[in-house]
Amino acid sequence: MSQPTPLPRARQRRRNPLPVILGVVALVGLTAFIAFGNLNKSLEYFVTPTEYAQQRAELEGRPIRIGGLVRAVDYNPQTLNLKFVVSDGGASFPVQYSGAVSDLFKENQGVVVRGEFQGDTFHAQELIVKHSEEYNVPKTQTELKDMLQQTQ
Amino acid sequence: MLNLISFQSSALGSLGQLALLGGLGFSLAGLLLAFVGGVRADARVTEAARRATWAVFALISLGMLVLMVALLKDDFTVRYVAEHSMRASPTWIKITSLWGALEGSILLWAWLLSGFTFILSLTLRRDALRPWALGTMFVSLLFFVGVCATIASPFTPVSTLLADGRGPNPALQNHWMMAVHPVLLYLGFVGLSVPFAYAVAALVTGRLSDHWVVVTRRWTLVAWTFLTAAIVAGGWWSYETLGWGGYWAWDPVENASFIPWLLTTAFLHSIQIQEKRGLMRSWNVWLIVLAYSSTVLGTFLNRSGIVQSVHAFAGGPVGPVFLGFLAFLLIVGIGLAAWRAPALRDEAEVPAPVSREGAFLAGNWLFLVFAFMVLLGTLFPTFVEAAQGRRDASVGPAFYNAFAIPLGLGLLLLMGVGPLLPWRRADGQGLLRALVPLLASGVGAALLGFVFGLRAPAVLLTLALAAYNLVGLGLLTARAARQAGGLGRTLQAQPRRYGAYTAHIGLVVLALGLAFSGAYRKDAQATLNLRAAAPTTLLHERLELTGLRQVDRGFGTSAVASVSIDGRPFETRLNTYTQAPGALFPAPAVRYGLLGDTYLVVTSIDPKGQWASIRLIESPLVSWIWWGTLIICIGAGLTLVSPARPQPRLAPAGLAPATD
Repeated sequence: MSQPTPLPRARQRRRNPLPVILGVVALVGLTAFIAFGNLNKSLEYFVTPTEYAQQRAELEGRPIRIGGLVRAVDYNPQTLNLKFVVSDGGASFPVQYSGAVSDLFKENQGVVVRGEFQGDTFHAQELIVKHSEEYNVPKTQTELKDMLQQTQ
Repeated sequence: MLNLISFQSSALGSLGQLALLGGLGFSLAGLLLAFVGGVRADARVTEAARRATWAVFALISLGMLVLMVALLKDDFTVRYVAEHSMRASPTWIKITSLWGALEGSILLWAWLLSGFTFILSLTLRRDALRPWALGTMFVSLLFFVGVCATIASPFTPVSTLLADGRGPNPALQNHWMMAVHPVLLYLGFVGLSVPFAYAVAALVTGRLSDHWVVVTRRWTLVAWTFLTAAIVAGGWWSYETLGWGGYWAWDPVENASFIPWLLTTAFLHSIQIQEKRGLMRSWNVWLIVLAYSSTVLGTFLNRSGIVQSVHAFAGGPVGPVFLGFLAFLLIVGIGLAAWRAPALRDEAEVPAPVSREGAFLAGNWLFLVFAFMVLLGTLFPTFVEAAQGRRDASVGPAFYNAFAIPLGLGLLLLMGVGPLLPWRRADGQGLLRALVPLLASGVGAALLGFVFGLRAPAVLLTLALAAYNLVGLGLLTARAARQAGGLGRTLQAQPRRYGAYTAHIGLVVLALGLAFSGAYRKDAQATLNLRAAAPTTLLHERLELTGLRQVDRGFGTSAVASVSIDGRPFETRLNTYTQAPGALFPAPAVRYGLLGDTYLVVTSIDPKGQWASIRLIESPLVSWIWWGTLIICIGAGLTLVSPARPQPRLAPAGLAPATD
């Protein structure tokens, strides 16, 4: 299969590059098809409660991230059931989450939650905590509050 | 606007800034000298340019040393030290703070680049490529040293003196891997500048013979190995410190390092087609331009804030500058390649589809499509924002997995076929005969997996392809050993081939780790009480909370939960840091096993010390990812070993290894 003899260099010969091009187009097309087929499904929008109230028809039941301030926390550490209300002053929605939260999870704290709406209740899969290289928690909160003020 | 130099408040800062400005001056001088040396073909001017690299390297090293001294002496007159270090930190944290934030990391990048340029200046042949390769390195140096000395200088003095620094980012002091990861990553990124410089030199001089490809193979391999290690190290850091039990989230920051890796892997294989057969000349030039540009693109994406990420870094004015440099690289690279297109197109033979180069080329296309799709996913939210005005849309992992899994399997398939195929042309019958044992072993492995209850199609396919790859490489090695009269002899004669085989075996191990841990990960949460009447059962394991205690670490506290899982003790922590009072950093307890990891992380602890909420994650074969990477790096190292027996000059030292 492989003798250590010098290989002949490629001869000068013009070949029709069409099959190669066609193959490439097919490959890219197929990949694009696979991707875009679920791109719309896998695109997660980030909304505030007020924005969700406006775009409800479009967003209900699909995965989104909702951001706002935490209100009315009800957490049972033994069953790990968490209920709270996410609010931006304009609109608010109840959120359900199953999983542990730390005691840093408090009233009026900014939060970003992943999940989807089922009816009026937001079923959360994940509470997202932003972390950045310039670690600064209040900064994200003020950012969030700024953002919330803009939506009002 | 730019406070380039100021002797007001900081002696060390001034020294460092002077060193950087000196480095900038020598970079500019070196660039001009290289250009003149190239245009006039004047060896003496080129020699001066070569020596300018030494001055740049010395001055940037001085800058690094000054910043290191300032960090170790807690000299808070230097802004970077005041903002990213503190007195209370242990020494190793102070040292790693050097690259723990933007300005320092760009300085590290510039320093490594000057070091690579220095090494290049010692190894460059005295040929027509020399001035242009040096000149290209000087262009990169000019940019990075320029950014470092002006808009992102770590040496700017502070306006108000602090008694103590603000301290490093907690997320980065939580694990020693964060000290290593950026260095590995930059070694990979910077290493690609050398093949790029050779490609530009080949284009400018029109010496598009295959010499530049042969020279750059080693450079590319070294860079590629660092890049591979860096990406996996980042994944391991994520696994060890973030407490989610995963290692890869298709985050823009991760993608930014993965795209160069894909393009470089493609380049490593396609240069062999040129080396052995003299084909794909223009392809290689394009590919290295794209690969090097993609390292700059990644930095731009993560520093500009245009892409929302869980860890999009703050960057200030650096993003747009990187975008400018990216545009410059692309325009110059593409412009040169287009200008030289006639010279590059002189051998218009298309590789035969069923041949080793055909397999290499198909693999190259898969890599390119892969890289393009990852880039698309990374940028798509930005497009959505531009088009629909929606903030912060993001593409979930589902999008990436939809193409990454089929493409990865396709690459595994080609990786097994490649080594079997001869160069130039394979006859169909011989190939079929060679493929029979491989296909049989693949089907057998998949059936075995099915019998053992595996049902995920992607996992069964990975298993089949793993067996098929391993059997193929094993048979090839056995046959070569028979012909050469002993395994040791063939290994010594062709380290390059067996290094590549080893790297491929490592990749198979890694792929198995990815497939199994991705498909069969189990995850459960519960709250455990101290002195509970009965142990809690979670994922068929009996969990008991045996103790809770608080530890003061000086610059933060740790809450430690001791848990016994099926009688084995685990200790997992929640750390706080004084710099980030409102944040908790979990330190998971991981029990690594060959067949699976038990991963315990405490998510919440009762302030009264009565209970702790924990999350238990069981993932099979995660360790295979780390071991596989180690095997890959060993294999890549082997390919750099020179063959034991001197071969005749014309013959390639062992036929090239296979494709992915």
